[in-house]
This record gives sequence, structure tokens and C-alpha cells, in this order.
Amino acid sequence: MILRFSGNRALVLGGTCELALALAHSMIESGLFPLLTYRDDKGLNRITEALRPFNGRYETCYLNFGDRDSLDSIFSQAGDDLDFLVDFAQGNYESLIAGADEECVYSYFMENVSFRAEILKRVGRAMLKKRKGRLVYVSSAAAPRPNPGQGFYAAAKLASEALYRNMGLELGERGITTVILRPGYIEAGRGRIYLQKQDRKILEMTPIKRAITGEEISQTILFLLSDSAAGINATEISMDGGLTSGK
Amino acid sequence: MDFLAELKKILKELLDFEEREITPETLLIQDLGAESIDLLELAVTINSRFKVAVKDDEIFLTRFRLYSREAEQQGKDAIHYLAGKYPFLGKDRIAEIMAHIKEGPQLKIKDLISYVTYPSQGV
Repeated sequence: MILRFSGNRALVLGGTCELALALAHSMIESGLFPLLTYRDDKGLNRITEALRPFNGRYETCYLNFGDRDSLDSIFSQAGDDLDFLVDFAQGNYESLIAGADEECVYSYFMENVSFRAEILKRVGRAMLKKRKGRLVYVSSAAAPRPNPGQGFYAAAKLASEALYRNMGLELGERGITTVILRPGYIEAGRGRIYLQKQDRKILEMTPIKRAITGEEISQTILFLLSDSAAGINATEISMDGGLTSGK
Repeated sequence: MDFLAELKKILKELLDFEEREITPETLLIQDLGAESIDLLELAVTINSRFKVAVKDDEIFLTRFRLYSREAEQQGKDAIHYLAGKYPFLGKDRIAEIMAHIKEGPQLKIKDLISYVTYPSQGV
């Protein structure tokens, strides 16, 4: 299947995670120009290392969730020239609800929900100037079905999903659409560490009896960014091998 | 810059209407039928065309009624209170809006011009 894209500049939030780097690879090979965000030197080095063969075909920029100045710097660097947004960024805060530290809770939601709303406002306004744009939010199967301890993570994910969904509802008629992807157990990044901790037994609960690969995720996101998927708007898609469909 | 001429051009593009009379007295919502998404796009266009930082709630007087109620509840002079919230509007214009507010949203082209030409709005 040949994928066609309306535009080529893609802001990738959380650009240092394994999935984002795999996606950046596929994007560059498909003629897109990713702008990957990082929040420290370690992340920047990871990007540089992973995308070494593609020098000059991507950019990086500093973005720290919660730091509004860093958001300004992205827009001074990228201007309003954005066609796509892929959002992998998500802080983790695991705690039982009744055991949570109040300060952590306030800052967690400020960073992962309020700040994301500000990003969406800025990106939405930039895309409105072109009257086109496509946004993909990478959520998680844990958003609708969290384990104990994942309450804050799930709440932030569901709130963020709601922001993306509404953006697609509100700006769809101006050519700006959104879609939410909910991967299940993934053979990459934090997912891989979790699977190792669980001795992979958890995959027995998944109808396909295996984890989703990073390559599958990046190819799916690429498809969701393409013109072929333009009719998928303001909705969420589960990519969890059937995990959350049964009990 | 002829702000009125420029705004007419922008509104024609955004609202996609045929030639029609637009004056400083034209009401954006009641006369031109602008909806919330049109106003959002107008704010974005004003920002880039006039190089003016736009706060949507301010330029479109979104909270005018709310502030008016606040002034009443706090026993304050409404015109003075609203002038603090909307420094780009003169007190006469605020009084005019208050007199007609029951007829529907009073946002006029001349209010947009006041906003973009108000000295502190430059980016």
C-alpha cells in the first residue's frame, strides 16, 4: 500500500522514546520531516545516535512538559509550519489513590494534562492558518483498563484523550483531525521492562498471545497520519491484540 | 494601515460571503452570523496579519456579561469595572454595549479595530 501525506513537517512529542525513534525512522523513509522533542542531554544523544544515518533530515528541540518557556522555543524554531503532531509524551506516576502525595498529584496533572492542553492550543492555532493538520495521540490500553496503582496514569491519559477527541470535533471542518491510539503490551521501552518483570506470563491473557512490536506501532501511526486514514477522526483505536475486549 | 479595509478582506475570506456592506457598526455574530470556530480562526488571522497578540476572551468580549454580573454582585460601578477588564474599549462604548446587551452579542467591527490599535497590544 502506498501511503500519501498532506504535508511533511511532523512534531513528535516525547521524541526520545524507542517508539518515537522507530517512527522517526519510518517517517524519514516516507519523506516526512520529524521534529523530535527531548528534555535532557541524554535524550538528545539517544536521538542523535538512533538517527545518525539521517543527518539533516530531522530536527530536535528541547521541550520539558510543564516548562512554558520551552514551549515558546519550539514555536520560535518551528514557526507555524506544522502538518502533523504525534504525541508520545507521558510522565509516569504510580501510586495507590489513597496513598498518593498531594504535591505530586497536582504537578502530575499540571504537566500531563494542563500543559498538553496548552500545546494543543498552540498547535491547533498554527494548523488553522494552513487549514489542515493531523494529530495522533499515543494513549494506552491502561487508560480504560488500569491496574491498581495506575489510577493517575489512566486519569491523565483519559483526560488527554478527551482533549484530542474534542480537538477533532471542533476543528474537523477546518481540515484538522485527530485520532487516539491505545497500544496494549508493547515489546518496547517501558512495556518491555514490564513484560520482563512479569516473566511475560501476562501475555497469556492476550488473545494473540504476544506483545505488539514497536515496528507494528510505528507503521500503524504512519498509516494514521496518511491521507488513507483521513476519515478516522476524533476517536480511539485499540491496538492490544484483543486484550481489552474480553475478560 | 487601513484596519477596516483589512478586516473586511479577512472576514470575506473566512466567512465566505459575497460582497456586502461592512461598516464599523456591523455586528459580527448577529449580522455576519460568525460562529465560535469562525471567531477562533479570526483570532488566529488577526494575530498573524496584524502581528498582534490576541486573547480570544478579550477581543471577542466573551466574558462581558459575566463581568457585568460580577460588578453588580460586588456593588461596583459596572462601567468602571468593565473598563478595567477591557481597556481598549472606551467608557462610552461600554455603556453602549450595556444598553443593548439584552438584544444579543454586541461585538462590532469597531471593537476589533479598537483591540488591534490599542497601544499595548503590539507583539
